[in-house]
Amino acid sequence: MNYFFQYLVYGLQLGSVYALLALGYTMVYGIVGMINFAHGDFLMIGAVGTYFIAKAFEGMRIDGTYPMLIVGLIILIAMTMTGFVATGVEAIAYRPLRNKPRMIALITAVGVSMFLENFPRALPFIGPNPRSFPTLFSTNVLKIFGATVTVTQIIMIVLAVITMSILYYVVNHTKVGSQMRAVSMDKDAASLMGININRVISITFFIGGALAGISGICYASAYPQVDVYMGSWLGNMSFVSAVLGGIGDIRGAMLGGFILGIAQIFATALNSTFGYAVGFIILIIILLVRPAGLMGKLVIEKV
Amino acid sequence: MALLEVRDLHVSYGAIQAVQGVSFEVNEGEVVALIGSNGAGKSTILRTISGLEKAKSGSIRFNDQELTKMKAHNIVKAGIAHVPEGRRIFPRLTVTENLHMGANLQTDKAKIASDMERVFELFPRLKEREKQQAGTLSGGEQQMLAFGRALMTDGKLLMMDEPSMGLAPIIVDEIFEIINRINAEGRSILLIEQNAFLALKTAKRAYVLETGKITMSGPASDLLADERVKAAYLGA
Repeated sequence: MNYFFQYLVYGLQLGSVYALLALGYTMVYGIVGMINFAHGDFLMIGAVGTYFIAKAFEGMRIDGTYPMLIVGLIILIAMTMTGFVATGVEAIAYRPLRNKPRMIALITAVGVSMFLENFPRALPFIGPNPRSFPTLFSTNVLKIFGATVTVTQIIMIVLAVITMSILYYVVNHTKVGSQMRAVSMDKDAASLMGININRVISITFFIGGALAGISGICYASAYPQVDVYMGSWLGNMSFVSAVLGGIGDIRGAMLGGFILGIAQIFATALNSTFGYAVGFIILIIILLVRPAGLMGKLVIEKV
Repeated sequence: MALLEVRDLHVSYGAIQAVQGVSFEVNEGEVVALIGSNGAGKSTILRTISGLEKAKSGSIRFNDQELTKMKAHNIVKAGIAHVPEGRRIFPRLTVTENLHMGANLQTDKAKIASDMERVFELFPRLKEREKQQAGTLSGGEQQMLAFGRALMTDGKLLMMDEPSMGLAPIIVDEIFEIINRINAEGRSILLIEQNAFLALKTAKRAYVLETGKITMSGPASDLLADERVKAAYLGA
């Protein structure tokens, strides 16, 4: 039982990273109908970026730890930065290809991913070597139900849940959210309502990028090592989460992320080499049983 | 001075020249019809006016503004409402949400509410189904919703693409009665129809379009009596 709760906490922590990242995949897919294979790299930019931002604020540490206010500021800067990177990628690489066959955008996304990994690798002040991620949150340990839980883990999970709740509210109850839903259903019709499609797509990429940025901070706080390739594997797992939950569906991405994170941790506990395989096993089963994903519905529309 | 003035418009899809030098105008308060068979370029003309397609050359002037270089959402702002071919309602939004989407550019809440009331008054059927997902409406109700949604944009010119397509005659009559009503209130209308008889009955003036070119034009009543039009479009 002790172990069960312990693994559950690890699972929720990894799951919140997957969920935050899966949201970006699913939102972009929902709105422009493409799989942005560079999305995992936005996580890397968030994590590596945070490394440098934290370094810049090093002088403001008190007794070797960052004050809460500074941590909040660091997170905000990192999220804004990844948001703008994502918006820039869309404007430069994807927008000119929007009306081209989907395969072209897909291949471009793979190219963008390679660029985002290898360009920083080539920069002398970043380079290929892993760096240890600074401690942003308290390292205090709590005992809950016999399990050892760090304050960082609790903060990460809570932060992820809050971020997702805000997103859910924005999409379903604000004007820009309803514009996003309209654009995702029919771009021409949305234009005829006076909606600026490019602006809505830019905002979507910005939000997706910012969520990837915070997921990078979450991940690097749990596994405190960052390098330029860290995003690709995590990106794949999050993509699986998004498909698992039903790609295009926001609640599905959150659910899929948590299911995959928890399943992966429990599978790793049983057998250390089995952890990664479990994600794909779940994916195959879901695609066989419910091809539209857990939350995805086959929509019936009268014509 | 015409409200909408299209001059020598050319539009192509790759090598296919869909619209080849079309000129026409819509005056304030008029109903103007473009008739012609499938593939004559009617929808392309409306889509180009709305900025969904790019003009290769020519000019489109509306209210003293040149539209050919403007983005689609700014053209809506300029005052053109477009009920597109195939209705294109937002299937997974409710009826009310669809209508609200039409009011996307409006900021005055009271005006939005009164416009909404007006749409429900014109189409009581939509009021009955206000909470229903639009994708589950019947074809006729979807056409009413697309019509109502366009009215919510509050454009001076309403462009309607094949409002009768696939609908039962009784619903078609209802839709055309409302076209007449809102025209009587002063809105100008540019109407595309394959049902030429209906279009010519409703419009004041009309243009006949054949493979991207205008071949005839004049008062609708004259065209209705014209032997060539009768033979080609009225099945007489």
